[in-house]
Amino acid sequence: MASKLSHSIGTHTRLWYLIDARHQVVGRLASMVALLLQGKNKPIYHPSVDTGDHVVVINTGHAVLTGSKWDKKLYRHHTGYPGGLKEIVAKQLHQKNPTMILRRAINGMLPKNLQRKHRMRRLHLYPDSAHSHALNITHQLPGPCPVFKTLSDYSSEEITSFPDIVTRISHL
Amino acid sequence: VPRVKRGVTKHARHKKILKAAKGYQASSGRNYKWAKEALMHAWSHAYRHRRQRKGDFRRLWIIRIGAACRQHDTNYSQFMHGLTAAGIEIDRKMLADMAVRDPAAFERLVALAKTD
Repeated sequence: MASKLSHSIGTHTRLWYLIDARHQVVGRLASMVALLLQGKNKPIYHPSVDTGDHVVVINTGHAVLTGSKWDKKLYRHHTGYPGGLKEIVAKQLHQKNPTMILRRAINGMLPKNLQRKHRMRRLHLYPDSAHSHALNITHQLPGPCPVFKTLSDYSSEEITSFPDIVTRISHL
Repeated sequence: VPRVKRGVTKHARHKKILKAAKGYQASSGRNYKWAKEALMHAWSHAYRHRRQRKGDFRRLWIIRIGAACRQHDTNYSQFMHGLTAAGIEIDRKMLADMAVRDPAAFERLVALAKTD
């Protein structure tokens, strides 16, 4: 029986998502955030209506660029004057403002129409884990990249009880 | 042939065009020549877009079905493949409608599509 009884308050309101960018690859995180800002994860999506949600991304200062992109990826803009091409390497841009890399990535992944400005206004980026939207957050989402455990995340019992592969192979 | 003055017939033809151009901005809603120009563009767009409308809606339905599938741990391509394998021929328009208005039934369809 088709009806609107299945709709809740959450069906048509703007939700607030919290995502931790620590150890997340910038491009993969940006594409996931762009989909959330457009509202393309909702069955009520329509391009003429802005069905997007708010997204709060914390720890953008700890996001990851693979390869040697920190040293080689260039962000360029032209000031309009002759000889006015400005280039800045990702590392320096990150030092200047740790949210800019992710902001530019997400901006480039949104459709280039009049809604882009409004969607970017619903994006809240913070370089560290401090953010001022604690009362608004409805869901926390995991990032697209799996977070691996470092050696310091393992307890000493797990380290000592780990099967010894190296000495067993070395006798062959 | 007796002498014919063209005022009455011309007025009737112009009135028809101006009525069709009601609501158009500036001269296009008032001036016969501009209205005729605007209407020719409008009719050409309408002709083209009546054909595009079919594709536009199908694209929207697919986006909506895909979004609903992902809420149930699958994606659009796997879901549609599962439906055809199960012999279900419900069209995308109804699937998109069910995704919004009858999610319980849509979930049953996703379960059917996932079975071998």
